[in-house]
Amino acid sequence: MCYNLWFGKFDGGVVISENLKKSFEAASNPNPLPFNLSEVGIQIFGRNYYELLRKTAIEVAEEKVEKELSSDDKYVIALVKALEEVEEAINALNGKKEELEEIRETEIQEKFAESISNLENLRKRIEEEIEAIMERIAPNLTELAGAKIGAKLMEKFGSLENLAKAPASKIQIVGAERSLYKALARIRKGKEAKVPKHGIIFTHPFIRSLPKNKRGKMARFLASKISIASKIDLFRGELEENLSEVVRKKFEELRRL
Amino acid sequence: MRNVKFFGNVPATKSRYGSHYGERIFEQDGERYREWIPWRSKLSAMLVKGYEIDLKGDEKVLYLGAASGTTLSHLADVVDEGVIYAVEYSAKPFKKLLELVRSRKNIIPIFGDASKPWKYSGIVEKVDLIYQDISQKNQVEILKLNSDFFLKSGGRILIMVKAKSIDSTAEAEQVFGNVLEELSKSFRILQSGRLDPFHKEHMFVLGERHSSAEWVKT
Repeated sequence: MCYNLWFGKFDGGVVISENLKKSFEAASNPNPLPFNLSEVGIQIFGRNYYELLRKTAIEVAEEKVEKELSSDDKYVIALVKALEEVEEAINALNGKKEELEEIRETEIQEKFAESISNLENLRKRIEEEIEAIMERIAPNLTELAGAKIGAKLMEKFGSLENLAKAPASKIQIVGAERSLYKALARIRKGKEAKVPKHGIIFTHPFIRSLPKNKRGKMARFLASKISIASKIDLFRGELEENLSEVVRKKFEELRRL
Repeated sequence: MRNVKFFGNVPATKSRYGSHYGERIFEQDGERYREWIPWRSKLSAMLVKGYEIDLKGDEKVLYLGAASGTTLSHLADVVDEGVIYAVEYSAKPFKKLLELVRSRKNIIPIFGDASKPWKYSGIVEKVDLIYQDISQKNQVEILKLNSDFFLKSGGRILIMVKAKSIDSTAEAEQVFGNVLEELSKSFRILQSGRLDPFHKEHMFVLGERHSSAEWVKT
């Protein structure tokens, strides 16, 4: 059996790697090593073993962390855009399939069904990926808003940083711009108007499941907490445990009223 | 616990290093101590509540979910002659963690996913203790996987469980009962307890690996 170690390969004897950073990143093995790694390492490097390991680990981590921090936002946003396209395609294909069904039973419908199911699988994969990345880069936003809404908000504002800098009132109605500007135009003319209470965040279960007259209140509260959550995510990146508790309490309070 | 002293009812660890997360520094008899805030660290909350975990100071430790290194910095003070492998997969806190690691000789940082231990199987050695604080739904499963890869026979596990992240709707007592049952399939439970009021609906479990299970994958 050959084993990949951070300082080389073990295959009865040890072949020391020429590039420690490279071998460190490739030190993956399907099963546990049947020997204690540090004993083998200390035989080779002596007392310097841990110093060398630590130095390599730090160098590798520094590079990977920088790289990820600079590309994660863009990745999530690209995924959200892709998800929207895929969803649209599924809807379009479903529509065409139904249209055909009404006219005639044909084999081509099966092909449609196949394609749709393929796309649905793709949609699921994209959603899972969004969830995994969001939990890592914006744990508070994800806990509060859910991965999908959180990612959509990031997409709308362009980045986590922009979202964190945005006023809560904007977070509340983003995604409902058209009805907002319509309403503002009517107000300017002195007419009565309905100003939207929520945009993207409307799909949040805490808002959607409330009766209409309470949704505005909940949306305002949720948006203000989302604003705080994204600020914590931007600057600290660690889960703040009490935040989601507060929102849940508000929801339950509104539901009971 | 080794290298821990109480100043009133606040624990602190003997340390040559400065403040990492805004904690106060105490001096006594020419020694420096770093305040260990129980509201910030679950391990500290354990100590304040009167629980003990026996450490000699030269242990090899695998720390899953190191975050920005708050608890890790104190654990590194305790096992000052040992080595801690610190795994964390979130980039932002890891940056803060790296600040800590640059000054500490006994921490090996691993920027990776604790649910995929095979990926760092050629980096981490066999350890005496696995400490886990990752608040994920399948955290028990992740702990088992890691102990299959790295825990010595007779080695110990210390796991922090957040009821809400395992099941957000069930009662905490119910969740804790299930977790204990699940853990007792692979470990002998030595001790467990709640961390209220410092950490709401959290529990710690200290366990020991059955000695026959060494390095055998199930």
